[in-house]
Amino acid sequence: MTSYSKEVIADLVAGTLPWPQTRRVMSAYKDDDRFFKYVAVLQDRVGWKDPILLPVSDHLFICQSGDERVTRCECGHSFGDYRKNWKLKASIIVRNTEETLREIYPNSDIPDPQWMEIREFICPQCGTMHEVEAAAPGYPIVHDFQPDLEGFYREWLGKPL
Amino acid sequence: MLDKPASALRIRERLIESERLMEETGCYDGITELQLRNQDPLKFETLHTKLRAYCVSAREMARRISASPGVREVGEMVVAIYTPEGDAIALSNGIMVHVHTMSRFIKWMIRNGYEENPCIRDGDIFANNDAFIGTVQVPDVMDVVPIFHSGRLVGWAGAVCHELEAGGITPGGDVALAQERFTEGLFVCAEKVGENDEIRRDYVIRCERNLRMPIYWVLDEKAKVASCIDMRESVKALIDEIGLDYWMQVSKEFIEEGRRAQLARTRQLTVPGIYRGHTFYGHVTKGKPGYQPLGDPDWLYNIPIEMEITTDGKIIMDFEGTQPWGYHSMNCTPAGMDGGMFVTLTQHMNFEGLVNDGAWMATELKLPHGTWTNPDNEMVATATSWALLLPAYGVFQRLLSRAFVGRGFVEEAFVGQVNSPMIEMGGTSQYGKLFGMAHFECAAAGSGALAIKDGLDTAYVGWNPESDMGNIEIWEQNMPMVYIGRSIVANSGGAGKYRGGCSFVSTWLVSKTDHLRLVTSEHSSRVFDNGGMCGGYPAPTCQKHRAVRDSNIFELAEKRAPLAHHTGTNPHRSELELRLQGEHVTMEGPYITAPHKTGDVFTHSYNGGGGYGDVLERDPIKTAADVENGYLTREAAEGIFGIMLDEDEDGYPVANLETTKRHRAEMRARRLAKARPVSEWIAAERGRVEKADFAPEVKKMYASAIKLSSHFTREFSDFWNVDAKSIFMPGAKP
Repeated sequence: MTSYSKEVIADLVAGTLPWPQTRRVMSAYKDDDRFFKYVAVLQDRVGWKDPILLPVSDHLFICQSGDERVTRCECGHSFGDYRKNWKLKASIIVRNTEETLREIYPNSDIPDPQWMEIREFICPQCGTMHEVEAAAPGYPIVHDFQPDLEGFYREWLGKPL
Repeated sequence: MLDKPASALRIRERLIESERLMEETGCYDGITELQLRNQDPLKFETLHTKLRAYCVSAREMARRISASPGVREVGEMVVAIYTPEGDAIALSNGIMVHVHTMSRFIKWMIRNGYEENPCIRDGDIFANNDAFIGTVQVPDVMDVVPIFHSGRLVGWAGAVCHELEAGGITPGGDVALAQERFTEGLFVCAEKVGENDEIRRDYVIRCERNLRMPIYWVLDEKAKVASCIDMRESVKALIDEIGLDYWMQVSKEFIEEGRRAQLARTRQLTVPGIYRGHTFYGHVTKGKPGYQPLGDPDWLYNIPIEMEITTDGKIIMDFEGTQPWGYHSMNCTPAGMDGGMFVTLTQHMNFEGLVNDGAWMATELKLPHGTWTNPDNEMVATATSWALLLPAYGVFQRLLSRAFVGRGFVEEAFVGQVNSPMIEMGGTSQYGKLFGMAHFECAAAGSGALAIKDGLDTAYVGWNPESDMGNIEIWEQNMPMVYIGRSIVANSGGAGKYRGGCSFVSTWLVSKTDHLRLVTSEHSSRVFDNGGMCGGYPAPTCQKHRAVRDSNIFELAEKRAPLAHHTGTNPHRSELELRLQGEHVTMEGPYITAPHKTGDVFTHSYNGGGGYGDVLERDPIKTAADVENGYLTREAAEGIFGIMLDEDEDGYPVANLETTKRHRAEMRARRLAKARPVSEWIAAERGRVEKADFAPEVKKMYASAIKLSSHFTREFSDFWNVDAKSIFMPGAKP
């Protein structure tokens, strides 16, 4: 069975594993023990103690915080109950003018602001940009991911939450 | 007349029986136990690998017969081996999207009584390019031959090539101007086109008289038939070796194993739950020549997708809330939607090669009736259905990638595919002959970023995992244009910690013709049809085309003065305008104009992929290398990524890590100062929603989605706390 050290997984996640080795990881049979090593790597990275239950983005994690399960930024900011859309508790910058769109697309065609806007969802504490939506004006904010956390742990990982 | 198969069961009855068994047992054809696999796993795996080898070898052989640069150069072909009921057992590499569409074609013939008329006999050749029977679009022409052994139908061999000319209202294969089926070109509707291993002469004559460039289609037919015969003979020899009963059982076990493997792979790589995403596509044709006034000339489509991964590993994709079909060529049939699903799965979850229709059986597509994904009118055009399919399955790739990120398989997370703008052409060739061709260098877009590295530059499209733009010299042999440039487009990848792969732009001089029609398709207008992920931005998309008619390029060349080789990085004034004199044209949306002639210059660019992660985390050293090599501009490095560059003694960019750190801290502070709580934004925006203060095309989009979907209506109303119906459909019944 394929298995990698925690150090290899850490380098892989950080994007620093040398390419030939990364290529081998991509081509090989997958390592069944990846998840908990991955979570351990991320737990070392964050500056807080709440156990990570599931990463949901590059710097966003569902974690056990006392009796609650919340979505938390790597900086520690909590976006509240993981079942609710974290974006509704985030800060936002909306690019819906030619001038603000040009800041991101200085040399290309840009969307018509009447047809599409760029929404940047930001952690109000550390300023990390967690997600970008490109949507028609008026389009409801998307709830990207509602994991079946109980089913995942119980039926797939074979461990209690 | 009747030539019934020798099997105890008729094929149609066998198909119905197979489906009933699947329904009852949940396993393919009622195969609840992989007996042969358990008896001798080595023999089992060896046989599957052999079948795969038959397919790969047959495809490579056939590519040498084809005259089309699309097939020879770019590999626009796939072949597969099927059960008698039409389920894929093994397939080659190539345009795998068609493995399941061919399955639909075979099943359609079985369901429609082809056993009785026109009969299914050894040596017969059947062809199809009707998307409502089973393909994606009119240029995807498929051929299948039955495999008989000991007088019994034991399977099918099938092959598909994407044709570069389909004889439609506009030249090329992806017939951009088609607004109804009747203008899409030459249709072959599940037709017997050959007997005794020979293509019928009257069919060839029909092709020769209805296509602008019949050599492509006709030689591709011969290539496909050759590959089918090659696979058929290999399978027959294999059956001689292993016995007929073993073959009939093992071929079904392969499929059931494929189904189980897909479920297991989903449980291994992902996280169960509900995933959501969307994309948009804009189309602008107002005032353009040729378009009939059948619908709105300018429109905007939303493509929302909800994906559920169940705890048993099934993937269910739901397109509820998307737009109705329209009088344009971008509609898609369920066969095409299946194909999109299949080709995406084979790349993301079944990369070991031993994949077949079993993988598809572990998924489910919910395609709302009446939408572009499942039209309730079989006269609609589907000639450029990739225009909407690619953005849609790009969303699917991002949804799957969210699952990979959650599970820890970050090396598989991928921001996804983008649209591949096509250029189609026809008229008089450089040899003075009638010609028509789709230019297939589009098979090399930029890919979305990965979660651990930048995307691939000019090296990926979703529809052909073996991406290849083809050699310039080959394309020049086939069209009356010569390249004066093929360049990376700076900043064409979406920005992010890892940027999307960059696209390229080609610049051509029209040569040795007085009549060259150029048409483009599959590029979104006014909206980006891709996305970023985890904080990355979408990639800018190709929206405009630039040309110079009656240019002075020959005079400039004579004087050895600088020419324009690309469009440059100034969005307001292109290199063409800077360097060339003549009649300058900049066109938004599909390029469709009067014919070009010698001395004209034309450019066409492709799309880059979306970015991954926060731009402020991008590696400064890598960025300096990107600027040096033309993948990013210095302006973007500083303005978007906050990376300050100095120059070394030779003038090459070098990242200044100290000033970059300071500059980024300022950018982050500005970001925080500028941002406001989402709750405040929603409260402010709600007033605009209540007044429907949107562009007409946006209002129309909402009204159409609301009309078709109570689910969309409810979600929209709940989110904004409004009555969506009364806003966008005033006067409609509540």
